[in-house]
Amino acid sequence: MIAKWLGKRVIMGTIVLIIVSFLSFFMMHAAPGNPATAYYGGNAQTLTTGEKERIEQAFGLDKPVLFQYGTWLGEALQGNLGYSAKEGRPVSTILLERLPNTLQLIVLTLFLVTITSIWLGLQAGMKEGSLLDRGLSIFSIASSAIPPFWLGILFIMVFSITLGWLPSSGMNDVRGDGGLVDRLYHMVLPLTVLVISHVGIFARFLQDSVKVENHSYYVQVARANGVSEREIRSMILRNAVIPYINYVGVTIPSFFGGSIVVETLFSWSGLGQLLVKSVMVKDFPVLMGAILIIGVVVVICLFIIDVLMICLNPRLRRGGFV
Amino acid sequence: MRTQRKYPLFWIVLLALIFTTTIFSSLLAPFEPNAMDMNQIYKAPNATHLLGTDQLGRDVLSRLLVGGKVTLFIAIISVVLSSIIGIIYGGISGYFGGAIDAVMMRILEAFLTIPSLVIVLALQAIMQGSVWRMAMIMGVTGWFVTARIVRSEFIRLKELEFVQMAKMFRTPLWKILFGHLLRNCIPAIFVVTIFNFAGAIFTEVSLSFLGIGVPPATPSWGTMLYTAQNDLLVGAWWMGLFPGLFIFVTILCVQVIGGTFKQGGRSHI
Repeated sequence: MIAKWLGKRVIMGTIVLIIVSFLSFFMMHAAPGNPATAYYGGNAQTLTTGEKERIEQAFGLDKPVLFQYGTWLGEALQGNLGYSAKEGRPVSTILLERLPNTLQLIVLTLFLVTITSIWLGLQAGMKEGSLLDRGLSIFSIASSAIPPFWLGILFIMVFSITLGWLPSSGMNDVRGDGGLVDRLYHMVLPLTVLVISHVGIFARFLQDSVKVENHSYYVQVARANGVSEREIRSMILRNAVIPYINYVGVTIPSFFGGSIVVETLFSWSGLGQLLVKSVMVKDFPVLMGAILIIGVVVVICLFIIDVLMICLNPRLRRGGFV
Repeated sequence: MRTQRKYPLFWIVLLALIFTTTIFSSLLAPFEPNAMDMNQIYKAPNATHLLGTDQLGRDVLSRLLVGGKVTLFIAIISVVLSSIIGIIYGGISGYFGGAIDAVMMRILEAFLTIPSLVIVLALQAIMQGSVWRMAMIMGVTGWFVTARIVRSEFIRLKELEFVQMAKMFRTPLWKILFGHLLRNCIPAIFVVTIFNFAGAIFTEVSLSFLGIGVPPATPSWGTMLYTAQNDLLVGAWWMGLFPGLFIFVTILCVQVIGGTFKQGGRSHI
């Protein structure tokens, strides 16, 4: 049953990825000019029509669009995403350089956000009407209205410029040895911004579902039978965490969205910064590759979340509803 | 335990105030927003320039008021567009169901997998340009959640007795779609549109901040923060503080208003 269900998820993920690749290919295909014009660029006047046609043939641009897509996808599956129009280096190399940096940021953010929000949400949800409960509600609305880059600018103003405690940009100290401590030191500000802008809504979500569970019959019955408050908490958490994990899954793309802005602000050389750069210089091969790889990473994350759901929700394991 | 619905009067008034000041910004602005004054470069907030001046001696307050017009205009146009697309897409998917629904939902899932900011960025790369074009791009990429909500509402409503009855009496399809189904979705659509509006402000501001939104010469809240990155180095804190504060308060108003309506209705986003 699980195998069948997981198989279905894998197939769905594959379909999603095919659509993503389709989108990124045709988006770039719709762009004005084609790779050939980008190639001969300023020499357009001096070339004869025959020469232009030869270049187009060499690029395969005389073939039907679907055929071009097929070729591109076939190559992409083998890890060949073409060459950067500006740097001339293979796109896959550029992406693989950047990917770990983004993952470091996002995985740490995700870790801190889930730990903090589960703790806060549980505390607040169990004590309805308390100061923490109301405070968290206000914080979650306020934090979801703060643009992360503005928060980043404020932090830079306070912690980097005024107090001089933390670096405002880069990933390593230029003179340093580039060790782990140095990396973490540079990560403090971007990480804090990402965590603050996400933790509120997550905690609020858990808080709400803890409240719903807290009012349900099984909890009341357990209380009436004198089950210890500790055990009740664990019961509530186990049930409330299931929709929460699902919500984390739905929100994962927005972590990548948030990292684009934060990476650019703090000059963190990850995928997000690369994306913005390649839009500015219109480096389409890199842009296509970056979209594709973000799609792949998100689909993998969603798959991990699915597996986590099976571990946490016995109903799924026993082949109940999906 | 539903609390009685209270209208968030304070926030509605505040939002209305923001809207009116931006609409009449050209009359209200104390200075011409693009007028440079080389004697007044990087002046901290003072009695003449309430929020200080920028690197060209332009009045920050005037630029903020005018800049709000660009941001809010883009947000409104894009939300209208995205609602229309979302209603049509979700409506078709929800009403017809079956294979059509399955295909349309897989496509929607693919869209939701790519962070929306990435899609907008890619489209900006292809056709960067005017304020209108940017509103279009954001509208075309902002309908996913609306479509989902409309779809689930349609699926819920179409099984209800009054719709079944209408079908039995051979009511024309368009009447069922618009008169019976769509009309009952309006509260849910309203709520999701409010949140979309906040999201659209967010997106516009983020794009302009990244330097790929509206042309940097146009004053908008995002572009002001984009230039503020350099201003911080010379200690011009007011350049970084005030535009963000405007954005924050506006989005906060919209979120709080949306939140109240969401609690009142049964829709869950």
